Amino acid sequence: MQMKINSHRLVMSAMFGGRRGPRPPVGNPTSIVCHGLMEKAGVSFPEAHLNPNAMAELALAGHELVGFDTVMPEYSVVQEAAALGARVDWGGRDKMPDVRDFPNADFSDITMPSDFLEKPSCRVVLDALSLLRRHVGGRVAIIGKVMGPWTMSYHMVGTQNFLLAVGMKETSKVTKMLCQLMPITVAFINAQFAAGADIVVLADHATRNLVGPYHYEQYLLPLHQEITAQVGGPIILHVCGNCSDRLELFARSGVDAYHFEWQVDSKEAVRRIGDKISLVGNVNNPQALLQGTPEDVYKQARYAIEAGVHLIGPECAIPLATPIENLKAIVEAARQGY
Amino acid sequence: MGDHLETIKSAVINGKHAEIKALVQGAIDAGLDPNTIINEALIPGMDVVGKDFGSGKIFVPEMLVSAVTMKAGVEIVKPLLASGQGRSRGTVIMATVKGDLHDIGKNLVTMMLESAGFRVIDLGVDLDVDKLIEQVKAIRPDILGLSALLTTTMPEMQKVIGELHSQGLRDKLKVLVGGAPVDPAFAEKIGADGYGANAVEAVELARVLTEKKG
Repeated sequence: MQMKINSHRLVMSAMFGGRRGPRPPVGNPTSIVCHGLMEKAGVSFPEAHLNPNAMAELALAGHELVGFDTVMPEYSVVQEAAALGARVDWGGRDKMPDVRDFPNADFSDITMPSDFLEKPSCRVVLDALSLLRRHVGGRVAIIGKVMGPWTMSYHMVGTQNFLLAVGMKETSKVTKMLCQLMPITVAFINAQFAAGADIVVLADHATRNLVGPYHYEQYLLPLHQEITAQVGGPIILHVCGNCSDRLELFARSGVDAYHFEWQVDSKEAVRRIGDKISLVGNVNNPQALLQGTPEDVYKQARYAIEAGVHLIGPECAIPLATPIENLKAIVEAARQGY
Repeated sequence: MGDHLETIKSAVINGKHAEIKALVQGAIDAGLDPNTIINEALIPGMDVVGKDFGSGKIFVPEMLVSAVTMKAGVEIVKPLLASGQGRSRGTVIMATVKGDLHDIGKNLVTMMLESAGFRVIDLGVDLDVDKLIEQVKAIRPDILGLSALLTTTMPEMQKVIGELHSQGLRDKLKVLVGGAPVDPAFAEKIGADGYGANAVEAVELARVLTEKKG
């Protein structure tokens, strides 16, 4: 007998490469908030970064109004940095939050505050996840999101400063920073599972636009293996950019799935690592979702489905001006089945 | 002479930032012409770095170190250029557009333009259209370089070009665009004069555009 389907089951089965239902699930490991969704949900930025009810409400809209099989309430990449003392500009309706200064530009020591999880920017995510659990737990897959040590280094040290140290081969300085940040990643992931997440996205931007596969292998792969050993649930790794040159390394990191961009051909990704971990993505943001038509999006989603991508969705956090009809075209493509 | 130049070129390629000053000083002491050191060692070294970057052999960390190395070398040579030889190739305003705080690409281009002999005014990040236009009017650059890393901020480039048009400034300068989500099609669509996929391409483009201008 075919599996009984609801969104949660479709997503969880896809996460582990398990039995297929009648159609592939549609998911968003990163934000699908656009102006249209904010209007329909009656919730806007920056409120949805700061208030757990607003955060959960907006996440639910992605399921209820657009038809995604997942809800993911964390829209920014700076929750951890804010809790660690970086000055954050929470932006507004038209602008995503940003870190405004780098408290550890001198590579000074970072220790996790004892009340890290209670800092407002962390608490809000945990509370939103719990709210979602109460509303749609077991019916819709609830996704949390945590920055890995590499991305947190960009925020705490400054990206250029951090990469310059990598380039100058200041290995011990770089490694010390990453190792000090890793327990923060682990603690926040486990707290998100405890709060109600079914899956947590580990976002760690060791992207080809910035660093090489050899940097990932030297500095980050061992830490990702350690993180995935210490956390209590399924993990989706998110690294944007064209990462064709490091897919096998990601597959060795211990994560259950990789969320990837259109720049990586989905057929090639499935061929190379699809039997080791699940693949999530990879509808193009700038050309298809932002500037394209629903037909363009539909075609790309169908290409990904036919390639064997396990969970279909946008490649990365979508531009805020994305038309909501384009998001719906992904759902439409998935409804056509395999 | 060839040895000095090769050693300096190789130091730039390999990012020997701690050694470059002594190497360049050694070449000067040996009587090499400062322009030769720049044009036949430092810049060709960075050209190799750019090609290696373009082909995915090296990445931003190595490129940053090479750019820092080249800049340190140029700083030793610059004061020695005979008057007239030090004349700038042109003036460039560099900025990351509004809403975007990403600046590594812009900083790399800035460093390399300076090393290649351009006068560069780096206005920083998160520059709104009005502020940019105000600076263009005040500085009258030959080139305006715009950078964006986010798909959310790319449209700002078009706004800047639109405003240059409406203020009658568009024909007075060239606009170069770059950044991870930008591509030649987008550059053409918004009416930019050129797109550089990386810092080396951007500098080459700046050279060509300023030469054409005569």
